Amino acid sequence: MKHDRLKISKIVDELMNYCFYMGSTNIHVDVQETDEFFKIYCKCDYKDSNLKKVEKMVKLLNCTKHEELEEYYWTLTGDCDVANELSLVGMMTDEATVKYSEGQDIEITLYRYKQNKE
Amino acid sequence: MVLTLYGALFVVLGFLMDTPEGILRGLRQIILEPDFLITDYIGVGGLGAAFVNAGILTLAAIFILYRMEIKVTGATISTVWLMTGFGLFGKNIFNVWFIMAGVWLYAQYQKDKFIKYVYIGLFGTSLAPLVTQIMFITNMSRWVSIPLGMAVGVFVGFILPPVSAYLMRVHQGFNLYNIGFTAGIIGTITVSVLRSYGLNMETRMIWTTGNNQILAMILVALFALMILIGFYLNGKSMKGYKNFYKYSGRLVTDFVILEGFAPSLLNMGINGLFATAYVLAIRGDLNGPSLGGIFTIVGFSAFGKHLGNMLPIFIGVFLGSLTKVWYINDPSIVLAALFGTTLAPIAGEFGWKYGILAGFLHSSVVLNVGFLHGGINLYNNGFAGGIVAATLIPIIEAFKKEE
Repeated sequence: MKHDRLKISKIVDELMNYCFYMGSTNIHVDVQETDEFFKIYCKCDYKDSNLKKVEKMVKLLNCTKHEELEEYYWTLTGDCDVANELSLVGMMTDEATVKYSEGQDIEITLYRYKQNKE
Repeated sequence: MVLTLYGALFVVLGFLMDTPEGILRGLRQIILEPDFLITDYIGVGGLGAAFVNAGILTLAAIFILYRMEIKVTGATISTVWLMTGFGLFGKNIFNVWFIMAGVWLYAQYQKDKFIKYVYIGLFGTSLAPLVTQIMFITNMSRWVSIPLGMAVGVFVGFILPPVSAYLMRVHQGFNLYNIGFTAGIIGTITVSVLRSYGLNMETRMIWTTGNNQILAMILVALFALMILIGFYLNGKSMKGYKNFYKYSGRLVTDFVILEGFAPSLLNMGINGLFATAYVLAIRGDLNGPSLGGIFTIVGFSAFGKHLGNMLPIFIGVFLGSLTKVWYINDPSIVLAALFGTTLAPIAGEFGWKYGILAGFLHSSVVLNVGFLHGGINLYNNGFAGGIVAATLIPIIEAFKKEE
């Protein structure tokens, strides 16, 4: 698949941009590649006053996968710091889970499966 | 199903407005005549043929997307309505397929699934007039011009996917008609080469008048029906509608995915009524091109546009008419206001003042860039919008306070 690893890099960029937007001062990102998938794990803190931004992130990341949109729009991910493209990240990933609770760090886990070409 | 209903409705309306013989004659004219800007198919083939052409193109786009098993999203709706709109001025049942074939070939070359490129293919038919131009309008022998037109169409389709994805970054998604920006650049290069070989691209203005009453009735009925269906499907409420105003509209803001189909349908109907009222209020003409602009607003009302981010653009174009050398209801300015909403995300993200500035600048830029591609890029406003956004965004960002 074209630019597959670059797409992962840009997803990480987008996540980090949003973490900063939520007021994070401590961000840990872990990227793992296997034969079947890419896994992106991100753990960060956030300002309590930004809880709405966290809830917005959960909604946007939970967009279902849309590969028909990905090829056209993927270059927008991680490229802008005045607006976010988290819904696009949701469309580019197969699974997204976000765990957060008051006073705790947020844990985001994304899976992007490698698909067979036709 | 709602989309298919609208496509079929256009075909039926076409047959109600003309005889089958008249429609066939009109379709033949539409295929053979040049399509570059501004060519109103109502003036070329008549109301009936123009509506049948738009309806068939709509149904063809739906059929392709259905066969690809694509889930209906805001992107799907905007693509389909774009085909309907430009089926009234520039895209016809003959000239769009070569570009689609080029995009399909690109997918094959990349050994990738066509589904990933299908939107680029459908949006990319904005360069369809190039095919007709080379096939039928040049003074070359038809034995040469027809294969050459086909080959150029396929070639343009082949290079569209990488170029369009690359150029997206230039305006950072603040120009909704990115393919228009891409097609403008490809069209400029192509026409520059053709002009170097002596091809003379004359200007063209087929702009029909006198159909405001019948077309206004059709549009109001279409959009009222849209609101009624949306209202019914939304549990007989306007629930969720006001949520749209929270979004800037920057690409990718898919309202159907984010807020659902029924509220999106409400937004589409309301914006369609607003755009129709605007054209009538400024004493503009309802015809193929202006309907194309209205339908594009309707389609993108499922993919980024709402009254909150569109209004500043309209105001910017209107303010321009008070100080510049043209009138608000000149054909190109009517289109500049309707299609200028490609820059709606600027107002949505940075506020109404920047939206007005974007509309003000856009209405001037769009009048000057058409020459570059000789009118073969039907999304001329997308080309101009890309230039305005690519210039404005870094300036706005430079002076914006860090959060």
